Amino acid sequence: MTARSTQERLAHVGIDHPKAVSIAFAVASVFFVLLAALPSVWPETFAMLNPATVDTDPENMLREDEPVRVFHDQMKHDLSLYDMVVVGVVDDSNPDGVFNPGALGRVRELTEFATGLRWPVGDEEPQQYEGVVSADIIAPSLVDNIEQAGAGSVRFEWLMPGTPADREASIAVRERAARIPLFQGTMVAESGRALALYLPLTSKDASYRVYRELQSKIDEFDGPEEYFITGLPVAEDTFGVEMFIQMAISAPLAMLVIFLLMFYFFRHAALIVAPMLIALGAVIITMGLLVATGNTVHIMSSMIPIFIMPIAVLDSIHVLSEFFDRYPETRNRREALEGVMDSLFVPMLYTSITSCAGFVSLVLTPIPPVQVFGFFVAFGIALAWALTITFVPAFIMLLPERTLEQFGAATHDDAEEHPSPLARGLLRLGPFAVGRARPILLATLAAGVVAGWGITLIEINDNPIRWFTEDHPIRTADRVLNEHFAGTYMAYLALPVAEDDVSPASYAEALAARAEAKGTALSSELPMAGMAFDKLAAEARSAAANAASVEDLLTGLERFTGDALDAAEGWDEGDAWDAASLFVSEEAGRREAFKQPEVLRYVERLSRHLETSGVVGKTNALPDIVKTVYRELLLGEDAAFRIPDRSDAVAQSLITYQNSHRPQDLWHFVTPDFRTSALWLQLKSGDNRDMSAVVEHTERFLAANPPPVPMDPQWFGLTYINVVWQEKMVAGMANAFLGSFVIVFLTMTLLFRSPWWGALSMVPLSITIALIYGVIGIVGKDYDMPVAVLSSLTLGLAIDFAIHFLARSRDLHQAGDSWGQTVPRVFGEPGRAIARNVIVIALGFSPLLVAPLVPYRTVGILMASILVVSGVATLVILPALMQLGERWLFPKPAPEKTKEIA
Amino acid sequence: MTAKNRIQLAMAIMALLIAPLAVHAADAADSDVNTIVEKTNRVAYYQGDDGRARVKMTITDPQGRTRRREFTILRRDLEQGDADTANGDQKMYVYFRRPSDVNKMSFLVYKHPGSDDDRWLYLPALDLVKRIAAADERTSFVGSNFFYEDVSGRSPDKDAHELLEVTKNYFVLRHTPRQPDAVEFTHYDMWVHRTSYIPVKMDYTGRDGEVYRRYEALEVKTIQGHPTVTQARMSDLRSGGSTVLEYAEVSYDLGLPDDVFSERYLRNPPREHLR
Repeated sequence: MTARSTQERLAHVGIDHPKAVSIAFAVASVFFVLLAALPSVWPETFAMLNPATVDTDPENMLREDEPVRVFHDQMKHDLSLYDMVVVGVVDDSNPDGVFNPGALGRVRELTEFATGLRWPVGDEEPQQYEGVVSADIIAPSLVDNIEQAGAGSVRFEWLMPGTPADREASIAVRERAARIPLFQGTMVAESGRALALYLPLTSKDASYRVYRELQSKIDEFDGPEEYFITGLPVAEDTFGVEMFIQMAISAPLAMLVIFLLMFYFFRHAALIVAPMLIALGAVIITMGLLVATGNTVHIMSSMIPIFIMPIAVLDSIHVLSEFFDRYPETRNRREALEGVMDSLFVPMLYTSITSCAGFVSLVLTPIPPVQVFGFFVAFGIALAWALTITFVPAFIMLLPERTLEQFGAATHDDAEEHPSPLARGLLRLGPFAVGRARPILLATLAAGVVAGWGITLIEINDNPIRWFTEDHPIRTADRVLNEHFAGTYMAYLALPVAEDDVSPASYAEALAARAEAKGTALSSELPMAGMAFDKLAAEARSAAANAASVEDLLTGLERFTGDALDAAEGWDEGDAWDAASLFVSEEAGRREAFKQPEVLRYVERLSRHLETSGVVGKTNALPDIVKTVYRELLLGEDAAFRIPDRSDAVAQSLITYQNSHRPQDLWHFVTPDFRTSALWLQLKSGDNRDMSAVVEHTERFLAANPPPVPMDPQWFGLTYINVVWQEKMVAGMANAFLGSFVIVFLTMTLLFRSPWWGALSMVPLSITIALIYGVIGIVGKDYDMPVAVLSSLTLGLAIDFAIHFLARSRDLHQAGDSWGQTVPRVFGEPGRAIARNVIVIALGFSPLLVAPLVPYRTVGILMASILVVSGVATLVILPALMQLGERWLFPKPAPEKTKEIA
Repeated sequence: MTAKNRIQLAMAIMALLIAPLAVHAADAADSDVNTIVEKTNRVAYYQGDDGRARVKMTITDPQGRTRRREFTILRRDLEQGDADTANGDQKMYVYFRRPSDVNKMSFLVYKHPGSDDDRWLYLPALDLVKRIAAADERTSFVGSNFFYEDVSGRSPDKDAHELLEVTKNYFVLRHTPRQPDAVEFTHYDMWVHRTSYIPVKMDYTGRDGEVYRRYEALEVKTIQGHPTVTQARMSDLRSGGSTVLEYAEVSYDLGLPDDVFSERYLRNPPREHLR
């Protein structure tokens, strides 16, 4: 058979051409190292190659053209919003908190320092900068205050014009801020003891540098107050740095532990170098390819090595384990290797195909980093397989004969006469499983039911801040600041007025009619009004045909009346055109929805409703500004803290507000056309489930309270984006998993030429997944990104054990034997290989448990659990099921009933 | 036509009109910085005994979106006729017309170069006259890139002056604030046209040593013998926003009565003087 010979050639290539295979492997590894390293180290010299770029931005969990991201970027642009670094200043030792001259002086100094934190980028004219956007900093010395200044006077001034001289002046800063809703709970803590500075950044990339500079400035201070720096950009950048520490320390450490464990089992350092080299080579080549193809090293792709390593080692251990057991029989490595490769080739091929299928299926998720992750892990697995069947034999062939002399000998003989504890345990385990088949099945079913219940308890949730451990400075800052302030997680609700449902033509017709009526009404006091308004009406009707929008039409009419006014001769004509121009301006003004009192009152009700959600610490919105200014214009009385009754009163309050040092502050809350406004929400938690709760809470309000003007409310902000990608990921993962589950089942059926065997091979992984996720649900661990991705790994690892176990069971089952008679053979060398794998990989990833980042710890714990559960499922549940289903699995010849096992 | 071309054209026109006068003026005093400052201040803020202009303001934000406002500005010097100095008290009245929701809003300033100005604001929709307490004058004028101080004029007494350079067409002056803590700049440089004494450009330098704010005269016309900036732009070089003021119907020496500039007229605009 041709296929057979192909398989043989492949399986024997390493045995026949060991040098060529080794050299090819070495060359490939060096090539990929250089491919990734050269452009990273010398970007100029190797400009044509892609350097390694780190991407820690959770936004990139979504495609760049994903609607929610496009909208997020659009709103950030339209409302000049930036990602922010938050610096909290807290002094719990002083009853006045940080409101004392010393601390405020240092806060002022720090603020001044922060304004200079920007650096030139590029060489364009005018010079572009990166860093802090000083004009939009929120800090006591840089924001404006509006307050009463005695009889009929208002004062506009910096909230903290200089460093306060004494206690009273310091307290006064706090009291002034407390009267301004925008500052209370945001800049000044409700506790009255803390302050927060908000430093907007031109881009998130600058955050780590800003963070470090701020930290070094803070280190110069000797006051009793504490400084906490947080904000998502800082978290993301810090994460990126720690990710590298992670990759540089934990991954090699994992390799070392695996090496030591393998040494314990095989007692042959030279030989076990092979699997280590394969794991290393597979990781290097895969990551080299990842970098060379221009993919970024994202939080997901940084985990690729950790996923490839166990699977790469898995196959090698099967080969070594088998060789270890066979070699002493003949002491001829070629013969032993040929035997090993012949019996392992098919199972290894199928385990690799199924593992690949599990990861390739991730390409179906709508999350680009997960797609990249899935693809490259699958590539790494395929590569590891190819290396295992070629390089491991080649490596063994190249070893000097004498280094193999002792290999396996002692232990091999022992295995027969003085079995190792592992071998003894396994030899008892097999018969036990077969003998207690029914209780085992019942226990499995019971565990399945409990797991099913546990799965229903699963909470889908994630929060990038929680990727850091509890005692990390970022978590500490997060906790302290959310205790003192209304919340440091930002989300925004945009309220754009819905697109016009009238055409410019029909709008023009209505406007023309209103103009004619107005002209008639005015003609008694303005003799030429009729003429001017009639001309305006005619212009409106004729211009409508060419107007792209109502706005366009109105702009044209404003120009038309303005020009006519400039050209008017005599007072009568001038007055008439002045009235016509005013009329057009009023028409345009009516379209400015967010100057209308009823709209502002609606926004205010929405704000108050949001604040009852329990998660939203505070909202900031346009009505807060209008009310504050209106109150201060009306003698600062609390009764005047309301939305005025007329839109021109709103407009005049706002223009007064803009007579400040920071007129641009208004445009963070509304666009200059007053047709899109945004509510700024401060959340106390960045958990996705909390954000989702706020979204639902809002939807209920919007459904029950339609806005006075049609609007298309839409969320944006990083906290919301996290929710979107997580929802996509959960659904995507579920689909990917179900898809690969079916593919694996079909592959297994094909492999074993039997649906029964196919179904049987799915048992360990099904049980493992049910149990792992059931336990996650029961212990209340959030279903987050690493947890979601591990379902694919489970598929890959658990199916590996099942295939080896079942394939070897079929091989070892001899005609006429019962399953019970076969069991001891299966629990010999194949069982040992599986058990060794479980132990090596589960323990091998224990270094992850001390990793500084939580997702890696989760992976470490889950990896160990998956291995143990799937190992037990394979070695206990499978034989039990095979015992019960012997009739279908080993159909003939079965002339007599199964012999009982003693 | 680019802004630069417009300035050059305006300069060329102006040079033709006032060259005979200017040659004489420049010879006598061009080395004396205080004289240059005084003449510049007179040209910028004290031409004639009074004046009126209809102003169109276009605010362009960093995103390129524009907003327009229109107002009429009246100005009267307290020292009339020959007693006219270039640094005396003045009264200003700003009457808003557009957009319609700020129509009839008005603003009154009594400028006292030696001390704080008095300022009142009338908000018709609230039927409210508010006195604006003395404080920083370097705040935005109705949301534009111009400051109150740019509109009313920064008193020369607040700065120390030095003549950096005399170029073919310009005196380049540097003004350094006497009270550095009261302002956001460390100094500003001014390019004063040597013959007309029109300040055609001002660059404000921040504490970081960079020019962050720029004033440019975009168009100059001679009106009733007075070289007059009829178009000017203030740019925020950091954010990229800018504001252009266009002065139309400029006239001088109207004989505006003093009582027009009183709180009473804030509520009842002097219509005949505003046309």
